[in-house]
Amino acid sequence: MTESIKHENLKQRQDKRFINKETQTAAKYLRRMKELSGAPEGMEPFYDTLERIYVDMEYIEKKPGQKTIGTYCVMTPPELIYASGAVPVKLCSGNYTAFSVGENIAPRDACPLVKAVAGFKQTGLMPIYEDCSIMVIPITCDCKKKIAGMLSDSCDIMTMHIPASRNDDDIDEYIRQLYDLMERLENVTGNRITYESLSNGFRKVGYAQYELSEFIRLKKQLPYLIRGSHAMAILNSSSYMPADVWGRALHRVNAALKKRIAEKKTVTSKKLPRILLTGSPIVFPNIKIPLLIEEMGGIVAGDETCMGERGLWDPAVITNDSFDGMIRALANRALRPCPCPTFADNSQRIYRLKQLIKENQIQGVIYHVLRGCLVYDHEYKRIEEELGKLGIPVIRLESDYNEEDIEQLRIRIEAFIELIKLKQAPEKAVAVRRSF
Amino acid sequence: MGKYYIGLDGGSTYLKAALIGKGKVIDTMVRSTGIDNNGTARKIAAELCSRNSLSPSDIGYIMATGYSRKILEVADDDISEITAHAYGVRMTAPKEYRPGMIIDIGGQDSKIIYLDQSYGVKNFSMNDKCAAGTGKFMEVIAQILETTIDNVGPLSLKATNPCDINSTCVVFAQSEVISLVARKYDRCDILAGMHQSMAKRIIKMMKKTEKGVDILMTGGGALNTGLHHAFEEELMRDVYVAQYPQFNGAIGAALIASERG
Repeated sequence: MTESIKHENLKQRQDKRFINKETQTAAKYLRRMKELSGAPEGMEPFYDTLERIYVDMEYIEKKPGQKTIGTYCVMTPPELIYASGAVPVKLCSGNYTAFSVGENIAPRDACPLVKAVAGFKQTGLMPIYEDCSIMVIPITCDCKKKIAGMLSDSCDIMTMHIPASRNDDDIDEYIRQLYDLMERLENVTGNRITYESLSNGFRKVGYAQYELSEFIRLKKQLPYLIRGSHAMAILNSSSYMPADVWGRALHRVNAALKKRIAEKKTVTSKKLPRILLTGSPIVFPNIKIPLLIEEMGGIVAGDETCMGERGLWDPAVITNDSFDGMIRALANRALRPCPCPTFADNSQRIYRLKQLIKENQIQGVIYHVLRGCLVYDHEYKRIEEELGKLGIPVIRLESDYNEEDIEQLRIRIEAFIELIKLKQAPEKAVAVRRSF
Repeated sequence: MGKYYIGLDGGSTYLKAALIGKGKVIDTMVRSTGIDNNGTARKIAAELCSRNSLSPSDIGYIMATGYSRKILEVADDDISEITAHAYGVRMTAPKEYRPGMIIDIGGQDSKIIYLDQSYGVKNFSMNDKCAAGTGKFMEVIAQILETTIDNVGPLSLKATNPCDINSTCVVFAQSEVISLVARKYDRCDILAGMHQSMAKRIIKMMKKTEKGVDILMTGGGALNTGLHHAFEEELMRDVYVAQYPQFNGAIGAALIASERG
């Protein structure tokens, strides 16, 4: 009896420590993000969402009784989840505290994202995880496969096979899985997915995507209207906000950016080296890399990451407006244009990067590799070669979910930014009266 | 505006300064970093001027680099070590050097910098979490073997049978060396073994696919002839040593200063 009380107290104490550490880290990064100058008006809903999820540790905002569906990756179509009356939440994690717990669960060479997911599930303390009626896990790499098995111990899961190529047979197979997913969602929610409700799902996500395309158009403008770190906060929050709510909040930011154009206001009058950030996902609170880039005097002008712009960039295009046509549109969107390195042939990614470089007048590329994320690391060589032909410098930054490497990252980022600056015309010194 | 430029390299162990003008290195100076970085920097800049009969107004621009670069008030601006070293070799590399790779062995870190043909930085990798493979490591071992850092190189070149030192951590390597001493191994062999193990560790950071380029050593560590020899042996190719290796960062900073001033 006494033994069990003691045990319970210990667990409670440990839980409390976990919560303290988790909330402190999240609050710190939120603060650093807010301290970065030049944020436009209308950022509050996004900051509030990140605060709600990671500092206050609450469920995502939803109607009473509404089910939450956990998703990973950009390959789970949110349209289908909205059609079932549920709300999706993306569970890919960037959490340092959960990572440190997960390190004891997942093998050493597993990637930090998966370790953090394992850590959250182990502690049972993260509301957005605990609230999920089902988790949908596209198997995009070996780590995701094993984490799916691990999660199935305590949660209802559905894995989705992601093919290595994207020919018509692969798309057909994926469509079959979407019908399976539909059935699972109907069972969980007790709602039928109809032509009508699926159309509504499309409308919700479509609206968010429309606002995003507008945002990206504004973000491209020179001189800059918004910093990449702030844009990353907006994009990251889309994981924890219903698409229509997120879209409306983004609409207000877009309006603020248009106002900036009219008032000729910009982030800064300085010429900041324009950096494209690509590679492994950047998930709050692991935003140290975009923050460092911008704190060291660069600007993240391009973003090709799956928790960033890639997550919502490609719209589903309906060419046949039957129900099956809509499902087919979802499958086509999830697989065909996706520049995720899970696919054997990923020339899409090179094409997309070149497109982003041109559109955003990128001067250098920072390639983020989460330690253990082999698929992204594999593609580095090819991308370095391809961008080398364009004369665009690239550096590979390997990191994981802790703060020990911040100084090392800082000097690498600083040197990279200097490298770009030195290619520009040097700033002339003003005459000074010198004395020692 | 003056026609002379100063580069200050505030390293972890020493503060180095270089005075350049008319496209060449005019003077260099080194002091222990001490606790007053700022004061030392000011003094060293003043001394460089007076020693070369220059007045402060002859100095067009002062650029700082190294760990303490952000706090050196005497400097007009600062630049990272990586960029500074890449610039420095433009002045300090031997004529036949084809850029390139640079191995920089500092007091507290070591780095590999890859350059394109026009000496621009292409990429770099560095070890800065750990003292193994740095000048500090050499100092610790020299102390155990009752010699000084200047003698470490020449002594090791007398080795006939270099010892194996396998620990990758400076603390463990230290105890390994102590046990070798206890087993009466020759001091020269121990030092040669130490250089081999340092070279191996640093080479691990290196991309071996670079073709048609030469390797240049910079930093205080390049003054160590034994370490230079170990690199050549381990890489099985020639390794160049920069002129004024210890001042390469400071010279690079001065060179960037000359583009600004």
